[in-house]
Amino acid sequence: MEILQFGFMQRALVAATVIAAVAPLVGAFIVQRGQSLIGDGMGHMAFAGVGLAFLVGLNPLVGALALTAVAAVALARLTRVGVGGDLSLALIFYGGIAAGFFFSSRAGGGQNQVLSFLFGSPLNLGWDEVAAVTALAGAVVVIVIALYPQLVALAFDEAAARVAGVPTQGLVLALTVVVALVVVAGMSSIGLLLISAMMVIPVATAAQVASSYRATLLLASAIGAASAVIGLLVAFYANAPTGAAIVLVALGAYCATALTRLLAGSLQRASS
Amino acid sequence: MTAMADPSALEFDQVTFGYGRLPVLREASLRIAEGEFVAVVGPNGSGKTTLMRLGLGLLQPSHGVVRLFGADVSRFRDRWRLGYVPQRASAATSLPVSVAEVVRTGLAGQLRPGRRGTRRHRERLEHVLDLMGLAAVRRQRLSELSGGQQQRALIARALVTGPRLLVLDEPTTGVDAEARAILRESLEHLVTVEGIAVVYVSHDPEGFAGIADRVVEVRAGRLVRVDPQAPAPTSQSV
Ligand SMILES: Nc1ncnc2c1ncn2[C@@H]1O[C@H](COP(=O)(O)OP(=O)(O)OP(=O)(O)O)[C@@H](O)[C@H]1O
Ligand SMILES: [Mg+2]
Repeated sequence: MEILQFGFMQRALVAATVIAAVAPLVGAFIVQRGQSLIGDGMGHMAFAGVGLAFLVGLNPLVGALALTAVAAVALARLTRVGVGGDLSLALIFYGGIAAGFFFSSRAGGGQNQVLSFLFGSPLNLGWDEVAAVTALAGAVVVIVIALYPQLVALAFDEAAARVAGVPTQGLVLALTVVVALVVVAGMSSIGLLLISAMMVIPVATAAQVASSYRATLLLASAIGAASAVIGLLVAFYANAPTGAAIVLVALGAYCATALTRLLAGSLQRASS
Repeated sequence: MTAMADPSALEFDQVTFGYGRLPVLREASLRIAEGEFVAVVGPNGSGKTTLMRLGLGLLQPSHGVVRLFGADVSRFRDRWRLGYVPQRASAATSLPVSVAEVVRTGLAGQLRPGRRGTRRHRERLEHVLDLMGLAAVRRQRLSELSGGQQQRALIARALVTGPRLLVLDEPTTGVDAEARAILRESLEHLVTVEGIAVVYVSHDPEGFAGIADRVVEVRAGRLVRVDPQAPAPTSQSV
């Protein structure tokens, strides 16, 4: 394909596809735990981190990593002292967006750059940034593989997992940290407001057809990657924003799968 | 007799617990010996599930001590010795999971990060799938199974480490008569052949009649022994 001649297109393709393939691997666990929105909370906090980074002259990745790490620990603490999952998430949500906007307004000329992380701008990435994104995604994959049996046990039945000797508190924190890593790795290509969608939507699609957890994860990862490639092409030719195009393609795949199942179901009923 | 000389599988010693200000359990005491089958009965909301969660260390008593195999529950480490089938366990999951995968999660506490199961783990998995009659459906989605099969999958998960104490909280809810009979048979096997201690929480005496060594009722926050033969309860403490 001729568009691959462009270096910026190659970089965008690598960054978006890598993160879209990795996000569902983490998303499957948060969806199963009923915490589909936790990625959004982290996204808002990362926004504050990016704003702060521009204010003090740091790399935005570093700022986002620092503040999402704080958010991960705070979330675990708040939940433990009885500020219920939903409320503690809301605190982080609003605190993050308010602080992010506050910081970015003080960042002078940096303000537009800060805001560009909300929806991503993959066409402006350098190879060093693509390498950083890939390294973060790689770390996520390594952690998920290493903790896979424990994470599955936690996701399906936390009480039974605790009785069986799974260190659930530490594991919940680890899961929140990998969510933060995915958000930070995805903010430059898909954007802070949309990266969480890639943790959730491909998983929901895969869950309709897979018959095991493992198959759900692998299929969701493939759907995520394919959505990124198709979305990027659509964005390029239609001159549309990339993060939005990728998420809309993923959503389209979900609707198509649901519709197909519906039709197949009614056909079966009609013929029997 | 000290706890060291003769460790019970599970011991509640003067345990008091409440979620808010109102206590659910008041100075409740109970000892379950190794290899013993104890049934726990009581009306809805009397505190049966709470008692089990205290016994497994999922809740901490405000007063009193819980011991597992002689060790204080907060310091108990040999988690493979425990099998837990929670009430209304999460069989209705939102994501697909196969029967074998669910059962395998019972082993997760035995694995170190980055390690997969050993050959012995795989053998145990096969063993419990056979034992619970699930070998043929191991690759099926859990949610596609009947209520009785789902319950058996959760029992298999609890048994996969080869536990010495099995806690079942209302295992026959939503299970038909035939599945209840199968469950009963497998429990009888576990108690008589493998010598596992069983705590069986249920409203339905049919599930444990004839197997239970003792029946204990949770009543007004205390544990009262009920004679399995005569329905009229005596008030002696257990
Ligand atoms: N997480 C909780 N927070 C507050 N109160 C609770 C909680 N869980 C249980 N309770 C209360 O504690 C009491 C005992 O509940 P528990 O679940 O132990 O009863 P149970 O005997 O198992 O009932 P059932 O037969 O319905 O299973 C009830 O009054 C219940 O409302
Ligand atoms: Mg109960």
